[in-house]
Amino acid sequence: MNEPLVEGVNLCKYFKTPRGLLHAVEDVNFRIYEGKTLGVVGESGCGKSTLGRTVLRLQQATSGSVLYKGEDILKFSKHEMHKVQRNMQMIFQDPYSSLDPRMSIRGLITEPLQVIGGRTQSISSEAIKEKVDAIMEMCGLPSHYSNLYPHELDGGMRQRVGLARSMVLDPKFIVCDEPVSALDVSIQAQILNLLMDLQEQHSLSYMFITHDLAVVKHISDAIMVMYMGQVVEYAPSKVLFDNPMHPYTRALLNSIPTIDLARRNRERITIRGEVSSPINPAPGCRFAPRCPYATEACKVSHKLEEVAPGHLVSCTKGAR
Amino acid sequence: MTEKKKESEYLLEVKDLHVQYNTDDAIVYAVNGLNLSLKRGEKLGLVGETGAGKTTLALSILQLLPKRVGQIASGSIKYQGEELLGKPDSYMLGLRGRRISMIFQDPMTSLNPTKSVGDQVFEVLHLHFPNLSKAEKEAKVDQMLQMVGIPSSRKGEYPHQFSGGMKQRIVIAMALIAEPELLLADEPTTALDVTIQAQILELMKRLKDEFNSAVVLITHDLGVVAEFCDNVSVIYNGRVVEYGSVEKIFGSNAKHPYTEGLINCLPSLAIDEARLKPIGGHMVDPRHLIQGCCFADRCQHCMPICKTEPPVMHEKDGHMILCHLYDKTEEAK
Amino acid sequence: MTLFKKKKKKSLSEYSTGELILFRFRKNKLAMIGVFMFLAVTLFILAAPLIRPYSMVYKQDIVNKLQGPGEGRIFGTDELGRDLLARILYGGRISLFCSLAIIGIAFFTGAIIGGAAGYFGGKVDTFLMRIVDMLMSVPSALLAMAIITALGNGVWKLVLALSIGQIARFARMVRSSVLTLRNMEYVEAAKCFGSSSLRIILKHILPNGIGPIVVSATLTLGAVILSISSMGYLGLGVASPTPEWGTIISENKVNIQYYPYLGVIPGICIMLTVMSVNFIGDGLRDAFDPKSKN
Repeated sequence: MNEPLVEGVNLCKYFKTPRGLLHAVEDVNFRIYEGKTLGVVGESGCGKSTLGRTVLRLQQATSGSVLYKGEDILKFSKHEMHKVQRNMQMIFQDPYSSLDPRMSIRGLITEPLQVIGGRTQSISSEAIKEKVDAIMEMCGLPSHYSNLYPHELDGGMRQRVGLARSMVLDPKFIVCDEPVSALDVSIQAQILNLLMDLQEQHSLSYMFITHDLAVVKHISDAIMVMYMGQVVEYAPSKVLFDNPMHPYTRALLNSIPTIDLARRNRERITIRGEVSSPINPAPGCRFAPRCPYATEACKVSHKLEEVAPGHLVSCTKGAR
Repeated sequence: MTEKKKESEYLLEVKDLHVQYNTDDAIVYAVNGLNLSLKRGEKLGLVGETGAGKTTLALSILQLLPKRVGQIASGSIKYQGEELLGKPDSYMLGLRGRRISMIFQDPMTSLNPTKSVGDQVFEVLHLHFPNLSKAEKEAKVDQMLQMVGIPSSRKGEYPHQFSGGMKQRIVIAMALIAEPELLLADEPTTALDVTIQAQILELMKRLKDEFNSAVVLITHDLGVVAEFCDNVSVIYNGRVVEYGSVEKIFGSNAKHPYTEGLINCLPSLAIDEARLKPIGGHMVDPRHLIQGCCFADRCQHCMPICKTEPPVMHEKDGHMILCHLYDKTEEAK
Repeated sequence: MTLFKKKKKKSLSEYSTGELILFRFRKNKLAMIGVFMFLAVTLFILAAPLIRPYSMVYKQDIVNKLQGPGEGRIFGTDELGRDLLARILYGGRISLFCSLAIIGIAFFTGAIIGGAAGYFGGKVDTFLMRIVDMLMSVPSALLAMAIITALGNGVWKLVLALSIGQIARFARMVRSSVLTLRNMEYVEAAKCFGSSSLRIILKHILPNGIGPIVVSATLTLGAVILSISSMGYLGLGVASPTPEWGTIISENKVNIQYYPYLGVIPGICIMLTVMSVNFIGDGLRDAFDPKSKN
């Protein structure tokens, strides 16, 4: 348990565009331990989705490593990758486009087994059927859904199918890319409970990507806050919410609308302006143009420092 | 107009509205006896989940339902005392954009990608105030864009050159330039980041005060409603199940079980919980008319009467709840 | 055939996508008329040996030349006394067979080219699309004529010549379809559990993108039949005395003024076939579009 299951080391992902180099993910480091959840939080353009896809090699990283049980999977050959692939899966945001509309529910959940089965070891069709039945039950999918098609299910049920599809391979690590953002509140709660139950039963590790701070607090052990590709703060959940240090984190927490009537008249921290372009970005902290506390030094360097055990932040000007 | 207009207490009054969609498959009962009243300058939140009928309500007010399929079966919608149902298209045309404006969820699709943003705002102004001189109109457009935070130097740019938040500001500019009395906002910030959402809500508050417009804010986000609105209507299965001021809805102990469920299933920033409390069951199928209470099969407090008799609206100090739980308190009076 | 099975009335949302498409298609009267017309034509052509023996196609009977439709000779005879009905029946085989072969070859080749270009992108895409551009820069009729002139007449040479002209269209359609679909999250999901590119293309992308392309193929069938006939009229591809609807019109063009049936009858056959195929194509297009009136 002392060694992280999945570790990101100096991960960078840049995209070439006609206008220049787009720095989507800049020098990201993280550690996810077995049975734990790392929440990755940030707004659009912060690179969190790109990060998730880079970790699973759905996108090719520009530099850096992703260690699974100590081995850099970014350097694996296709053959070596096939061996570990089943351990690292993903669930997607859009319940509508993450399921092939032409496949039945049963077909969708069976497919990963057929692909892996054809490759590494052969599984009998009996075993496949049993496995799929078990997974469907585990994810709360009634057996009579087997022959239905995605368009006949609602958003929450479709997410369960997506989850079942990832779980059928008995993975150890799942990247959850905004899995509940597109769902109604009452269904969000059902899916979050299911994710947490599965984590407990199977010692799963999650990288939970979201923009919803309340959700991320509920499900994560540690949280990483990203802004324009850079990690600005990284701390255990409770610590981040009790004692946010980075000005962006503070502003983010402050903007969440709440039904807590007592907090309604809190002092507002409104961030001016908009996210600037991540193409050929200026050096230093990318939040500086919008930050009320920015100084000249901010535009030169951006470094994460450990200010308390387990609490890393690139700037403490936001602390109270 | 020669007839004297009665000064109505309410800007907008919806009484017992029933709206359905006649599809090939089945009839979808989207709105089932909805009541709503809105005063000048009031900020009303319409809260509900997908399929509750909130957007249908907004479209019905402006009579923008899909022509062949959407049908207002019965009920009344009065604006400043005038009944809107039955009014000809020409009357509605004069109303839309000028006295009642609407903004939609997705700013990407609300704007015409082939026209500059300045032109689009100008067009709205020109439609409703054709008699102003060009210079006057240009000046107003500049002023409006400035008010929403778009520098007038960017007037000639096209929608794709702006971010989501800025596009929504432009949409708001278009909605408010004719200084409408009522703004219908259908999930205006759902597609935006939380910090941008905060900016846009701030903007809407400021402008509302500036023009003294009333706002109906349709959303599924309870937090947004709590922070922005004065009053809240909670909608389920096409009807209002609870209505009251924000203080009453989120502060008092008396609640409709659905509202209670919605509040409880939100992960809280303040408290640590091991498990969330979702609302069991599924949303009601709008193709079937329910006997009894529409929330009965998902309700934790369901009683035998809930399955057979539809509940009545109970009121106490302006707080209205549609639930049998409160029958006894009424009878006790 | 599911087209003819009576289905119990279920709620529309319970049909699978495929069933829904068939359902909408069946509701379209014009499309169903097209289906019947096309089936009728095909049936006649296939039943040719039962109606007229093959020998009558070439059998000349100068004594009875240029006889109009009458008893014993339903369509009449041409200037060499050959029975027109026989020539139309067996000629139709060539017209239909060639057009189906052309569409098939063009579709298959175009799908491979377009699919690879769309899925792999980058240099593969650039290279393949430049080839397609080259094909598109020459008008397909001229291209076909050039190829036939070089290779000589004959059924297979005609098929080859006309197929090449149609590949470009299918390649571009498939490519654009694939470009949209490869970004779908279900494709990413398939990559997650290690699906090979080939599997993704065959299992996920093509089945979902095939709709509009099938529609286009059906509508092109009509145009291809006309092209074959035009080629035949020009004396290219299928040449006299081999019967083919366009060739029949061409070889009789001298006599059409006084014996119009020689032109009208094959003309009507072409028209009915192309019309029926167009109805089917339109019906398919409407059926695939979930937002259509049905």
